[in-house]
Amino acid sequence: MSSTPKQHLPVRGGDRKPARVRPYSLTGGRTRFGHVLLVETFVASTAALDAPEERRELTNGSLSTRVMPELRAIVELCRRMRTVAEIAALLKMPLGVVRVLLSDLADQGKIRVYGTGTGHGTGRPDRALLERVLSGLRRL
Amino acid sequence: MRKILVVGAGQSGLQIALGLQSQGYEVTLMSNRTADEIRTGRVMSTQCMFHTALQHERDLQLNFWESQAPKIEGLGVSVAAPGSWAEGPAARAIDWLGRLDGYAQSIDQRVKMAGWMETFAQRGGQLVIHGAAVGDLDYFSRTYDLVLVAAGKGELVQMFARDPERSPYSEPQRALAVSYVHGLGPRPEHPDTEGVRCNLVPGVGELFVMPCLTTSGRADILFWEGIPGGPLDVFNGVKDPAEHLSLTLELMERYVPWEYARATKVELTDAGGTLAGRYAPTVRNPIGRLPGGGLVLGVADVVVANDPITGQGSNSASKCAAAYLSSIVERGDKPFDEEWMRATFDRYWATAQHVTKWTNAMLAPPPEHILNLIGAAGELQPVADRFANGFNDPADFENFFYDPEKTQAYLVEVSGAGAA
Amino acid sequence: MHAWETDRTRAPIATKIVVAGGFGVGKTTLVTAVSEITPLQTEALMTEASEATDDLTATPGKTTTTVAMDFGRLTLDDDLVLYLFGTPGQQRFWFMWDDIVRGAIGAVVLADTRRLKDCFPVLDYFESSGLPYVVAVNHFDGSELFEPEDVREALTIPKHIPVMIMDARRRISVIETLLALVGHALDETPE
Repeated sequence: MSSTPKQHLPVRGGDRKPARVRPYSLTGGRTRFGHVLLVETFVASTAALDAPEERRELTNGSLSTRVMPELRAIVELCRRMRTVAEIAALLKMPLGVVRVLLSDLADQGKIRVYGTGTGHGTGRPDRALLERVLSGLRRL
Repeated sequence: MRKILVVGAGQSGLQIALGLQSQGYEVTLMSNRTADEIRTGRVMSTQCMFHTALQHERDLQLNFWESQAPKIEGLGVSVAAPGSWAEGPAARAIDWLGRLDGYAQSIDQRVKMAGWMETFAQRGGQLVIHGAAVGDLDYFSRTYDLVLVAAGKGELVQMFARDPERSPYSEPQRALAVSYVHGLGPRPEHPDTEGVRCNLVPGVGELFVMPCLTTSGRADILFWEGIPGGPLDVFNGVKDPAEHLSLTLELMERYVPWEYARATKVELTDAGGTLAGRYAPTVRNPIGRLPGGGLVLGVADVVVANDPITGQGSNSASKCAAAYLSSIVERGDKPFDEEWMRATFDRYWATAQHVTKWTNAMLAPPPEHILNLIGAAGELQPVADRFANGFNDPADFENFFYDPEKTQAYLVEVSGAGAA
Repeated sequence: MHAWETDRTRAPIATKIVVAGGFGVGKTTLVTAVSEITPLQTEALMTEASEATDDLTATPGKTTTTVAMDFGRLTLDDDLVLYLFGTPGQQRFWFMWDDIVRGAIGAVVLADTRRLKDCFPVLDYFESSGLPYVVAVNHFDGSELFEPEDVREALTIPKHIPVMIMDARRRISVIETLLALVGHALDETPE
């Protein structure tokens, strides 16, 4: 078998007028595309360390009014750098719930999603990072 | 605006999510994979969609790939003469091509779902990458106005009890093996007509062949449906895609040599271009009750999973999405309670029941009057055409397929008209 | 407390290793042996299928069960943190692995020679997912000590994949296992 995609095969009917919009080709690369919240993704609150107005602001939006205690608890925890899994564990909340609430909070600008810092999103770590992990482990 | 959570980013989940989004609903979509993971992953289906299902996509302006994908104008049936494969390659006893009133198309769900998911996010939808568990939903059933479960595989399905009245089979009826290939030639009888080819091998299984648009352009799908325990049930545990394809071709050479003849130069489209598995066709109670008491509504194949022998999965998903979408919008600000959920499903079931009845009938060995009907279609083009268009609207089979008397009356009517 | 925890202006690099294996094989023990924090648990409430299923199968029967995932942490540098995620090995939890495996360095497949079968589904999963993995046999006191090559043969592990006998209670032994995995992942990563 061949795993090489045949990009140049003639496409039957391919001489027809192309569609005005081709979302596949438009979005084939990475675009503005939410936050992929991995279990080890770091998040932190954007608020100043003691911002009294923060609690009032959190009541904006319909979801917020329904889950205010949870949102508040997350923002409190995020006064320190936290991972997604850590928030779920400390608040004893399901991982999926934490992900949805974090993505709400990020949209509202209440928390910042730092990613994992590997620069590779959901892909495999690169050699440079693996080398650093190796030397880090050897130093332990 | 009302808040709705859609779990599952397949045909039905995305179609509903994008449809609701365009009407101003606040939609959260949960997918266990990112768009890139879907696009570079394994094929999921054969997803040949007929006119009505495609029209639902056009109504939502989601037919992004319509101009690029092959237009399937015909649906053919070939039947191997029973036992003819005992001494060398099989011969055909029946062979015809029906014309579809509106064309069909198959767009690889890797292309479509990835593209739709990105569109949803670009339009401001909240996309959360997470494989939902029951515990998550318990919470969401309180914080969202409505939770729809459109993830047809995996553990969430277990929330919906099997409906034994509507599920005649408790075991898988076919073993499935799909290969996406480049390099398939046309059927020499109709070199200029794109068609879905249904090749029936009595007592053994079926091979379906159809053109599609995949991540690397135009391709064709070879799809074996083997009776469990029979000679086609050999794909279990085959991990190497190349081995999967060569098994597919070997079986084609023996049982459907007329299809093998145009497949001698095929190559897999990509390493993810194969799929094997099996599942029992099952109709479920559409309402899931969570441990915390909340209710969720099941969508499409979560609640009505038919065998792919009639190629209805993605069609049903599109029709279910369209029906649910209307029910949600018509509900306005009133609560999405149990009664509404029941009525919403019943509205879908009004069409889905025909798909289930027909599909389950096709899984069983055909009775004589159906063999006669399929045979007569070779002589009577209107019969072939009507059978082909039944794939678009399976409700029509009520009128001429199940009841031997109705079949007979129909055949008399058509042959009479032909003679006149 | 590490400095990076309180500095909200910049996040360290986070990376992770998955620890997978059957129940009672020592995943929590392994994570605890090296974690700088008390290992945390996230729990997922799941419906439990009544029998093993493959990915296309839906079987009836529905009881709910709670599945716990352990995680621990090692700060390797001012700006580099390694997370360990321990997750159950049964096939029905594969959907959890898909989630945890995304972006991971690789996996330690923890095995117990008394219940070697428990790690079969885990090996199947990692073989098909292409994620780098090593096999670590957790040697329990009083159980027979096997040679790594015997285990390799029993599990049909390809030659290039490390198989090691270790003790999940001992920090040094766990770190050696992690080193073997990261070294193997490096071998598998193109220059």
